[in-house]
Amino acid sequence: MGMEQAWVLPAIPAVLFVVIALFNGLMPRRGDFLAILGMATVVGLVFVILVEFQGAFQGGLFTPEGANAYAFDWINIGQGFFVIEFSTYVDAITMVMLPVVTIVALMVMVYSVGYMHGEVRYGWYFAVLSLFVAAMLTLVVSGNLIQLYLAWEGVGLASYLLIGFYWERQSAAEAAKKAFITTRIGDVGLLIGIILLWRATGTFDIQEIISAATSGQIGDRYLTIAMLFLFGGAVGKSAQFPLHVWLPDAMEGPTPVSALIHAATMVVAGVYLVARFSPVYAEVLVARDVVLYTGLITAMMAASMGLVTTDIKRVLAYSTVSQLGFMFVALGVGAVGAAMFHLFTHAFFKALLFLGSGSVIHATHQQEVGALGGLRKKLPITTATFIIGSLALSGIPIFAGFFSKDEILHYVQADGGPVVYVLLAGTALLTAIYTTRLVLLTFFGEPKDHHAYDHAHESGPAMALPLIFLAVLATVAGFFVFDQVGEALGFAGGIGALVYIDHPHHFTQVDYAFAGIATLTALAGIGIGMAYWRGDARRAVQARAWAPDLHALLANRYYMDDLYQGIINRVILGAATVVAWFDKRIVNETGVDGGAQTISYLGYRLKFLQTGRIPNYALGMAVGVVALAIVAVGTRG
Amino acid sequence: MGAGYGPPDLTRTIEDLRVFDRLPLPSQLDRTIMAGGTIAGLVAAPVLIVLLGLQITGTISAVEMVFYMAAGVVLGGALGAVLIKNIVHASLSLIATLLGVAALYLLLLTEFIALVQVLVYGGGVIILLLFALMMTNAQDDPIVQDGSQKPFAFGVAVLIGGVFVTALLDAQWGDPTAAVIPFVDFGARIFRDFSVPVIIVAVLLDIALTGAFVNARRAEAHDEEGRS
Amino acid sequence: MIPIENFLVLSALLFAIGFYGVLARRSAILILMSVEIMLAGVAINFIAFASYLDHDAFSGLVFALFVITVAAAEVGLALGVVLRLFRERRTANVDEANSLKW
Repeated sequence: MGMEQAWVLPAIPAVLFVVIALFNGLMPRRGDFLAILGMATVVGLVFVILVEFQGAFQGGLFTPEGANAYAFDWINIGQGFFVIEFSTYVDAITMVMLPVVTIVALMVMVYSVGYMHGEVRYGWYFAVLSLFVAAMLTLVVSGNLIQLYLAWEGVGLASYLLIGFYWERQSAAEAAKKAFITTRIGDVGLLIGIILLWRATGTFDIQEIISAATSGQIGDRYLTIAMLFLFGGAVGKSAQFPLHVWLPDAMEGPTPVSALIHAATMVVAGVYLVARFSPVYAEVLVARDVVLYTGLITAMMAASMGLVTTDIKRVLAYSTVSQLGFMFVALGVGAVGAAMFHLFTHAFFKALLFLGSGSVIHATHQQEVGALGGLRKKLPITTATFIIGSLALSGIPIFAGFFSKDEILHYVQADGGPVVYVLLAGTALLTAIYTTRLVLLTFFGEPKDHHAYDHAHESGPAMALPLIFLAVLATVAGFFVFDQVGEALGFAGGIGALVYIDHPHHFTQVDYAFAGIATLTALAGIGIGMAYWRGDARRAVQARAWAPDLHALLANRYYMDDLYQGIINRVILGAATVVAWFDKRIVNETGVDGGAQTISYLGYRLKFLQTGRIPNYALGMAVGVVALAIVAVGTRG
Repeated sequence: MGAGYGPPDLTRTIEDLRVFDRLPLPSQLDRTIMAGGTIAGLVAAPVLIVLLGLQITGTISAVEMVFYMAAGVVLGGALGAVLIKNIVHASLSLIATLLGVAALYLLLLTEFIALVQVLVYGGGVIILLLFALMMTNAQDDPIVQDGSQKPFAFGVAVLIGGVFVTALLDAQWGDPTAAVIPFVDFGARIFRDFSVPVIIVAVLLDIALTGAFVNARRAEAHDEEGRS
Repeated sequence: MIPIENFLVLSALLFAIGFYGVLARRSAILILMSVEIMLAGVAINFIAFASYLDHDAFSGLVFALFVITVAAAEVGLALGVVLRLFRERRTANVDEANSLKW
């Protein structure tokens, strides 16, 4: 087992999906232990691969090259004209993704044992989780774009199935549909991008495309357009502006699913894709700027909406969108290492926050912050871990989020210009504010819904242990940034050198002034949050009354959902009416039915040609023979 | 035919068969042959005289004279076969055609085919046809009107005849030379070079025989069921 | 020597006459007779060509022989069918056997 056998990783959960989906009714505990054991195996294998990767790394083999393992020809048309290989590719970016995906997936599965206990489709839930993990692992290890696209759609399918897990609820079914269709808009862009790249290079292999693009074999304008289409896929999957609208609605799914798919793994697929193609984006700076500004707009919009949202999970969803925006900003200034580092830390603390909110929901059956409050006495473990996650998200030192966000801000200041830096730092401030608000409204103050409060109690170890484990990770994951830590683990140069970066950056000394500003920003945000929402949140109510229009704008999500709905109603449904009329009248009634009726009428008339009298048939045949004879003689030349 | 004419027991045997009671053969055939022969003779005699005259004056050779006579018989017989309303008369007219065709084969120097023609057609097919006629409606109603599509049939036949004649006369046949095909050679080659087709035809005949037999047998079985 | 065209025209006329008979007649037996006339025309054609152009290869002769053989088989079988038809329907006219229609 090594990097060349990376295909085993997705194969295990894929098999488990089939087994659990088909036979969960026959198995004890509906097969959940099977999914968890399989997942634990995959985590173990990831660490085996990691050790091998580390060895190769020390040998100086894998910076920035990876292990490209050809498996077999999947499709081969025209003797090599159109070849799709089944191949895996493992490099540093993959090695960041693999532990994230597998560890969070394992934690979520363990947590789900407690959270989903007694659900009707319990076995199906674990089956689809396995399917998701299989698709996600295929995505991160795939060596060519078609395989990647397949996995890309696979995670989309799993996401659709899990958002709509409670399909009896109308809103869940609608949300699943919305998520699928919205991401599909981006997926079309991705497909177009893949086709454009194939047209230019004649291959689907990612590394070959990258080397072709960086050596200037593709025209600049062509490459820019192709990379923009590719980024379109990332926009859809990673819920960036203007396709971010699906992610908050995706919170209709079970909370562990939100933690796994809509916080830690699937939504970062877009980041992964752009990071994978970062050498190409470095060639086409126009496309990279689009990535930068898309990320910036998204980060700011989502953070501002997080300020007024009252649903605990939706706040976290907006936070996720905002943090993904941070990552794209980092990619937009070429700081791939910082983006991947933030992806790495964000996965742990955001999964932690989601699981914590799940614990709250599980205890109180409430997810509106207006109905919560004062839960710190009832849910001590949840409160402690949630606060750790919040500190990490806000960017308080020693917690993971601080390091990665600081890293991003550092690069933005260096390469993105002062305006972008100030806006992003402001967004970081907003992050601290809404996080503080969420914590205060949920765990502090007076309980507003006493019925829910009285029945609340800490849930069992299946849910508590993943929280604690993730809290530890959310605390220590940031230390990977330090050169010494990387050195100690066998990765010389820390994570900054682990992931390919244009200009290597070594954290041998800490820029205390810069870190101090960032810390102060975070503390200021927490302070503002405390000032407005502490106790009975009187000031927040006053602020709302002071600027009702602004609040309405934010609470209505900048009216983007209404805009889309309006476009759908007016334009698409209008066009659909015309098409439907055309289909009904012209195609169906005139074309299909009309054709059938014409045939029927002709048949009714012409059937009398079938007299049943042999001489008539003989005469018909004779006329044909004569005609043929005349033609033959006439054309004899 | 008197009682003392010919072997009496044979006559009784034929009468015992009873099948000839249904057949109007003797009287009708007598009348038909006499009338038809008279008409044919009346038509053919002037033609014969003209042809003989031409031959004697040297305008046409003897072979050509025979050809024209045979062709007249063939075409006249064929026309009679398709135009005469009485089916018995029509079938007798067909006999003339088939014998004329045999004469043409002789003119074409293939005496073996001519022999086969006489044997198979004159001896087999015609007898079969006459039997079938007698066993169907020949006795009750020997006059059969033609079908309603007669004008179309005429048009189509004229067209195809015209096309064939045009095509055949239009082509250049090089410098044809007639040659006698030796009997012995023919026999040797047909069983050597054409042995497979001969076998296939033999199988075909076998199948046809079986088919005819099965057909007739089933009909009887059906009749018995109908009676019971 | 008789020109080959004489035989060819004769065979074509014979074929056309038989053709007319097949189409115009009602009685199945008369139709069969017309078919025999057509076959005779074809056989004459074969033999004329064989005798005039192809006297070494025998193909035309063999064909004519087979035509005669197959005609005999056909008549035997077809007459069986006609008799069957007559027993079933008390008629030998083909246009009265018209149940295979709309």
